Amino acid sequence: MPAIETMELTKEYGDLDALSGLSLTVEKGELFALLGPNGSGKTTTIEILTGQRTPTSGSATVLGHDPVADPMPVRREIGILPEREDPPSFLTPREYLQFVCEVRSVEAADEQIEHWADRLAFAETLDSLSTNLSEGQRQRVMLAAAFVHEPDLVFIDEPLVNLDPIMQEQVKRHLADYCAEGNTLFLSTHFVDVAEELCTKVGIVTDGQLVATCDPREFEDDELLDFFIREVDAEREAVVQ
Amino acid sequence: MTGASHRTLLSWMVREEWRLHSELFGGRRFGGFPLVVALLTGVGTYALAITGTPPASVIAGLHALVALFGLQVGTVGLVGSDAMRDVLGDVTLLIFSARTLPLSMERLLSVFLVKEIIYYSGLFVTPMLAGYGGVAIARGTPPSTVALAWLTVTLAFTLGVTASLALTGLASRSGFALVAAVTAGTVAVVAGGVDPVALTPYRLFTDPSPIAALAAVGPPLVLAVVGIALFEPTEDDGEDGHHRAVDGLIERLSGDGLTRRPLLAVARSAGSVWKVVFSMGVLFVVTALVLQQVAAATGIEPGYGIAFGTLLGLGSFTTYSWVTQFDDPREYLRYPVGYADVFAGTLRAYLLLSVGAALVYLAVATIWYPLSVAALGALVQPPVALYVFGVTAYLTGLSPNDLLFDTPRFAVFGAALALLSTPLVVAALVVSTDPIAARGVAIAVAVLGALAGAILTRRAGPRWEATLRE
Repeated sequence: MPAIETMELTKEYGDLDALSGLSLTVEKGELFALLGPNGSGKTTTIEILTGQRTPTSGSATVLGHDPVADPMPVRREIGILPEREDPPSFLTPREYLQFVCEVRSVEAADEQIEHWADRLAFAETLDSLSTNLSEGQRQRVMLAAAFVHEPDLVFIDEPLVNLDPIMQEQVKRHLADYCAEGNTLFLSTHFVDVAEELCTKVGIVTDGQLVATCDPREFEDDELLDFFIREVDAEREAVVQ
Repeated sequence: MTGASHRTLLSWMVREEWRLHSELFGGRRFGGFPLVVALLTGVGTYALAITGTPPASVIAGLHALVALFGLQVGTVGLVGSDAMRDVLGDVTLLIFSARTLPLSMERLLSVFLVKEIIYYSGLFVTPMLAGYGGVAIARGTPPSTVALAWLTVTLAFTLGVTASLALTGLASRSGFALVAAVTAGTVAVVAGGVDPVALTPYRLFTDPSPIAALAAVGPPLVLAVVGIALFEPTEDDGEDGHHRAVDGLIERLSGDGLTRRPLLAVARSAGSVWKVVFSMGVLFVVTALVLQQVAAATGIEPGYGIAFGTLLGLGSFTTYSWVTQFDDPREYLRYPVGYADVFAGTLRAYLLLSVGAALVYLAVATIWYPLSVAALGALVQPPVALYVFGVTAYLTGLSPNDLLFDTPRFAVFGAALALLSTPLVVAALVVSTDPIAARGVAIAVAVLGALAGAILTRRAGPRWEATLRE
């Protein structure tokens, strides 16, 4: 059974078609990147797969559950890191993570929080109010919140945004280690190098459709970038024609 | 002094204020707001009139309501920056451009004050008076009296805004000075026999005279000068000891994360939990003063317990706004928790704060009023607070600030509150004619309100979960 499967997902926001029949499969243990330009439907896809949004039509299964009809089992089993999301301003990272652990029924929450704070290098700010943290520090807290219950599948929307180069390397290593343990990762990004460096499978999405899938390890140098641009341009030309 | 004149600064600030609201709520929806305000005030005035409420009580209440609104407007503009930041992201207002531009804080504040008064007088106070005036004139009140009411109510709004500025200015210098000033004022009224109403524009309405005119204009001017001189914008980082001091209490009082989180959010934001206590205190004092005026003007002894319970219950809306101010409504979609549980946790935090603060003032009320007043207030306030929670949660979810300028939603909200508050206010005003029946009706109405509030709260969860997933 694949970790994620979608069939002909569509999503309309008024006159705008955010998704136009998106079908994809992600196997367990894969580090999958949904790569696409801005506005191509990446975030909407993640929101539907994580039960945050209902599609206009189509179906999806995530870890064997239906995120549309019954989102709660999906939310229980996965981790989510949305793009540009901060921890609540007036809670400390420790309090926020305690809150997350409580709603997720994490055992030994305090140990887990200390562990993730050490691992993502924000232990020294655990008891500062989030409003006083830098953007990068807040991003690390949000990353910990996505992983603190050690889920089998994590969704991350733009994983490296706001992080300094040193932290980017640490996070990349962490994500690779996480998948090496047999877990699944679903990333969305518009940075080709992120997909190229991190992932075992890339799906290229444009105008709400999956136009190609590939294994980035089969490409050399900037070939993935060229492939990406070619696929996006071809789809756009087809739409224009 | 830079090249920018006061008029230029004023036009920029008015433009900024309009842009802020129309961006948040949509230009057309926001544009219809004055009409709804006029309509609601007109309907409210008419409902009170046909249920036998003396006209003097209505106009006294209108002065008090608008003065409270002025207090709220001044506070939001100056100390609500953290709430605004969480709603809109990093918002920088022109009022704070003294940090980066060669403009003095005093100059910016003066223009800001004028802008607040012009902007809100035009959008709220004048429509309110139009709604009130239409009904009042139709029922025989001379137009000149309505015109005078417009002037004095606008001055009451100015008094509220300038009082807010002065208190905020004092607080920005020293919390101790603020407490000392409020204590001194309370002692002067309670022990010194000072009649605070004599220093408000309401006096000019009841007794038009040169001295009353001076009393109407003087205090707002003095408060404005004091506020402008004292105000220092500070970034409240929430790290102060007094914020942390309530953490242990919150830990003990809240059993679960969904209750603890909104409580901590209130405790850590500007003003901590004390802003709930303070706002309830202002409401309590203003209610007491209005009731005193009603008794003096009509010779009818109003039902203090019902009135305190009703108004402290309705005033709980600000607590709802505070317990949800840092919520990103979509955030909870990421957790394995239903919105019904989120609202239940928020309700526990809300009741703990609003009912707790109200009970403090009802206990204080026993110094001046019989114990039965506090008992009746304690019976009425929690159900009314629950009703306010249910209506607000159902209509606005975890974004109550959307309500403020979203015209259709505001209209429904206003009507829903009027539905409960009108019979309660009438019961409070006619209690002397049949005390047992009036009190019985008040308690029954409050209980019905609580039932409606509980049902709406229960429905708010699934409703907003479905809406947010659209």
